[in-house]
Amino acid sequence: MSAPLQVYEPFRAGLPPLGRYWKSLWARRTFISQYSKSELREQHFDSVFGQLWLVLNPLLLSAVYFLLIVIIGGSSDSTRYGHLTASLFLFYLVSNSLTGGVKSVTAGQRLILNTAFPRIMLPISATIIALFKFIPTLLVFLVMRTIIGLPFGWEMLWAIPVFFITMLFALGVAITISCVNVYFRDITSFLPYLTRTLLYLSPILYEASSLSPKLRALEIFNPLFPILDSWSKAVVHSQVPETSSMLQGLAWALVIFLVGTYFFLSREREFAVRL
Amino acid sequence: MPSVSNTPLITNEVAVSVRNLGLTYTTAIDRRPTLKARLKSFGGKQTRTIRALDDVNLDIEYGQVLGVIGTNGAGKSSLMRVIAGILPPSQGRVEVYGSVSTLLALGVGFNPAMSGRDNVLLGGLAAGMSRKEIEQHFDEIADFSELGEAIDSPMRTYSSGMYARLAFSVAATVRPDILIVDEALSTGDAKFKEKSLNRIKELRSEDRALILVSHAMRTLRETCNDIAWLHKGKLIQRGEPNTVIDAYQEFLHLGKSAVVDEDL
Repeated sequence: MSAPLQVYEPFRAGLPPLGRYWKSLWARRTFISQYSKSELREQHFDSVFGQLWLVLNPLLLSAVYFLLIVIIGGSSDSTRYGHLTASLFLFYLVSNSLTGGVKSVTAGQRLILNTAFPRIMLPISATIIALFKFIPTLLVFLVMRTIIGLPFGWEMLWAIPVFFITMLFALGVAITISCVNVYFRDITSFLPYLTRTLLYLSPILYEASSLSPKLRALEIFNPLFPILDSWSKAVVHSQVPETSSMLQGLAWALVIFLVGTYFFLSREREFAVRL
Repeated sequence: MPSVSNTPLITNEVAVSVRNLGLTYTTAIDRRPTLKARLKSFGGKQTRTIRALDDVNLDIEYGQVLGVIGTNGAGKSSLMRVIAGILPPSQGRVEVYGSVSTLLALGVGFNPAMSGRDNVLLGGLAAGMSRKEIEQHFDEIADFSELGEAIDSPMRTYSSGMYARLAFSVAATVRPDILIVDEALSTGDAKFKEKSLNRIKELRSEDRALILVSHAMRTLRETCNDIAWLHKGKLIQRGEPNTVIDAYQEFLHLGKSAVVDEDL
């Protein structure tokens, strides 16, 4: 019998065999995409109005925030509006991943109790859903930046690495929060305040360069600050982002992803008992 | 009583080996684990330990159809979940030789917003089939479920019987080395029940091990060639179906009345 042997023993804290874990996760990639699609369908994002709302919602939001900027008296040129919209859209990628990820494990209770599969699939699919929601807004931004006449240039290609850093960060955040939520279910009620705080601490309503050096030094603790700053430089100003910002963002994303994944993987065998 | 017509197919090739298996749950008294609850109980943690499985030894060989019986809370489902790799054991060791598929609950992975057709794909993928396999078997699944046109309407419009029928049809298509079925046979009307039982019987073969958890004693007498009786987490008796089931029914002080023997 060439059948694979599986041994189940009392587990000690620590990681499961990573090679095998990755293999079984990879084998389920179709399931992950199908599962994400069905979740999107459940939220009606497959219909025309669902898609429209997906674009309309952040667009209206950016209009509201722009109004706010004008009223409290900031500069209100088209570049500012472009910066606000682009940053807000990317911020929503992370924030959707966070809010979708928080309940991904607890909502997958039936699945977890009745089938054996790599549990990390659940927060991954939450991030994929956030990505699906992000893509149409990106297209809207591209149209918009043409209309308001922002400069085009090859420097915009820097957006690609920045995007991947953001995805890594979004994934890490989803994995971490979904694991935390298993043990502390009331984390969900803190989440709106967390995202709101992150929104105001990040260079969205203002430009990173307009921050006083003192405040800027503190922003080393905000992972989204360097990411959003680099993003805005690339897609709005068509400039090469600062290398230090990119590296800082990458470091944050890597740390959160690795720490979160470690916790998740060493804990996930216990999830079935905890739900 | 039906005669035991189960040809002994046992090949002596071990499929599952359970050694000194123990499983304990620690459940908090609080229903929901929250930060608030954690802070409130800081210092003295209020928990209750449940011993779900206690020193269970069990070997299952290929070709065997093992029925698992026991009263509610005997640890049947826990044992199935450990063998499937869903719950980690607290003590002991479980070795599984081959691919395992579980039918612990019907319609796992189904999404009511999607059509029956989409859910066949979703449920099949959740059960570990590949997209190609599912597409190949789609007609077979649709036929078996007897849903007809309804397969293209969203599942939230289904009756619970229709839902269960589609779920069983998907699950019965998976062809694993080891199949674990937990009380999923009593779905749908009498006709479909008969049909699904026949499907399970078809799945019996010498290169497959089947584990059935059921309260339907007649079904077990008809299908299994081995019975394990669990009580309060302990393995009480294991052996030839009629002997063990008779002992179990004796234990329940119910005797072999028609009601008990009937599929419930």
